[in-house]
Amino acid sequence: MSALTLKLRCAPAMRLDLSSLVPGRLAGMSRGEIERLEVGGRRHPLKVGDCFEVSGEAGDSIIFEGGSDQFDYVGAAHAGGNILVDGDAGAYAARRMKAGDLEIRGNAGVCLASNMRGGTVKVGGSAGAHIGRPKPGEKDGMAGGAVIVQGDTDDYPGERMRRGILFVRGRLGKFAGARMMGGTIFAEQGLSAGAGIQMRRGTLIGPQLEAPLATFVDCGRHDLLILKIMARYWLKALGDAAPPPLTIPPRRLMGDMASLGKGEILLSGA
Amino acid sequence: MSELNNVVTDRAAITRNGVSIDDTFAEAFGMSASGVVITADSPKWARQSAVTMTGFGTSVIGCGAECGIDYEIAADATPDGRPGVRVLVFGFAPELVEEQLKNRVGQCVLTSPGSACFNGLDSSRRISLSGGPRFFGDGWQTARKLGDTRYWRVPVMDGEFVIEDKAGVSTDAVGGGNILVIGKDRIGVLETCELAVAAISNVRDVITPFPGGIVRSGSKVGSKYGAPASTNDAFCPTLRGAVKSELSADDKCVLEIVIDGLTAEAVGNAMRAGIKAVLDVGPQRGVTRISAGNYGGNLGQHHYHLKDYLP
Repeated sequence: MSALTLKLRCAPAMRLDLSSLVPGRLAGMSRGEIERLEVGGRRHPLKVGDCFEVSGEAGDSIIFEGGSDQFDYVGAAHAGGNILVDGDAGAYAARRMKAGDLEIRGNAGVCLASNMRGGTVKVGGSAGAHIGRPKPGEKDGMAGGAVIVQGDTDDYPGERMRRGILFVRGRLGKFAGARMMGGTIFAEQGLSAGAGIQMRRGTLIGPQLEAPLATFVDCGRHDLLILKIMARYWLKALGDAAPPPLTIPPRRLMGDMASLGKGEILLSGA
Repeated sequence: MSELNNVVTDRAAITRNGVSIDDTFAEAFGMSASGVVITADSPKWARQSAVTMTGFGTSVIGCGAECGIDYEIAADATPDGRPGVRVLVFGFAPELVEEQLKNRVGQCVLTSPGSACFNGLDSSRRISLSGGPRFFGDGWQTARKLGDTRYWRVPVMDGEFVIEDKAGVSTDAVGGGNILVIGKDRIGVLETCELAVAAISNVRDVITPFPGGIVRSGSKVGSKYGAPASTNDAFCPTLRGAVKSELSADDKCVLEIVIDGLTAEAVGNAMRAGIKAVLDVGPQRGVTRISAGNYGGNLGQHHYHLKDYLP
């Protein structure tokens, strides 16, 4: 059985809601039923068949051949299996995702992994602002799983994050971990200004930080055992995509003292 | 369980390598048990912490729990990549084991330099491991959940004490497996028992909770003074003429090896290993006989007949 493949016919002229195109929702559907699913457009409703050439069978895997920054809600509530977007994705990719894998080979739009609960998201390019941000009325941002971004992120990555890991191979935008309540944000190329603002708990890790907030206090360099446990766990869970272990004891900044103050920024640079 | 009562024996039913084995059985009991892994910067300090935690853990009646070191763990097999030791704790019920863990980890592992403490028993039923020690952080403790496992970081004077939130607990554990080693030379019997304990230490999922794994004060149930247990006079060589003794004229010493295990099978394997070690030595160090302690068979759910555990 070949994987369900949705080949983009042409660049969409409007935003598409692709939340229905996850393996769990398509289970048992015929190709015709899938083609008749609505994917957005209130004034001019669009169906899957209008936007994509559909081939293969519904199963554990979905492949989007071609992407667009108009692809909203890719992998929303994804609960198992694999989704591959061979291109960009729009807003709210992996929104409330629970399990499985989502790979976006291009860039991701705003609010990636909003209120995500589990699974793994890989973004080949960069990610837009407000990674993990909850919608109005929701308490938690990203609350589990792993998000791995090869490029940089826009501002407010990990907003109101509670659990899981956001690993950015590039640089984090401003105000990383704003109002964070737990979890880990790891930036291989460093953190920008405003990192950890109003964070209560959680960990930000990076080689250096541009303009630390005055409400963070320097606790010195420490060899923290928990980092070894985290590194071993990530290696087991993420394999080659895991963050690299720190080579020297990081400098620990605690804060935000204007909030609960139990968060930390670990600076691993010399 | 170490307190023995009336040992029912049919003397010298079998003889192997010059040592007679009584046709009797060890009577053991169902218990609850948990396991933890203690790590530290070196094997020495992991073991030191484990030894301290398992101290005063010989009999559940007097100590609240029966504790011991199961085995040492190489650094690459522990959660934090440091050398470790697996400790088992046995008690009458899961909530009693939890209480013991709280006290013992709090007083003996938290306090030990460089230590960390992790769950050491996979089980669907879990009890709190961090419930006491984490509050030592006085509000500075923080949690870190990785997958399904939550860890606590407690600030202490040498850095942070890391402890896993929960530990597995089993209600299929067995306590009170035992063998009695009888002989005519006290030092020889002791040295033979040391070899038996060493052999048992190679069996996974069991501990020998008494000092060095060996008990010299086997007991019977009850006392003329109202205590729950008192000396097992039938096996006291100095009372041989005064009581209904189980000993012969040449017997000068009886030492007992008590075994607790996570499963009935593990206890059986340990008894087999211990008996084999004693029989391998034979009578050359004064051992004349192997027996076992029981309560007549009416109290314990597990009966280990010695004849079934001969090598």
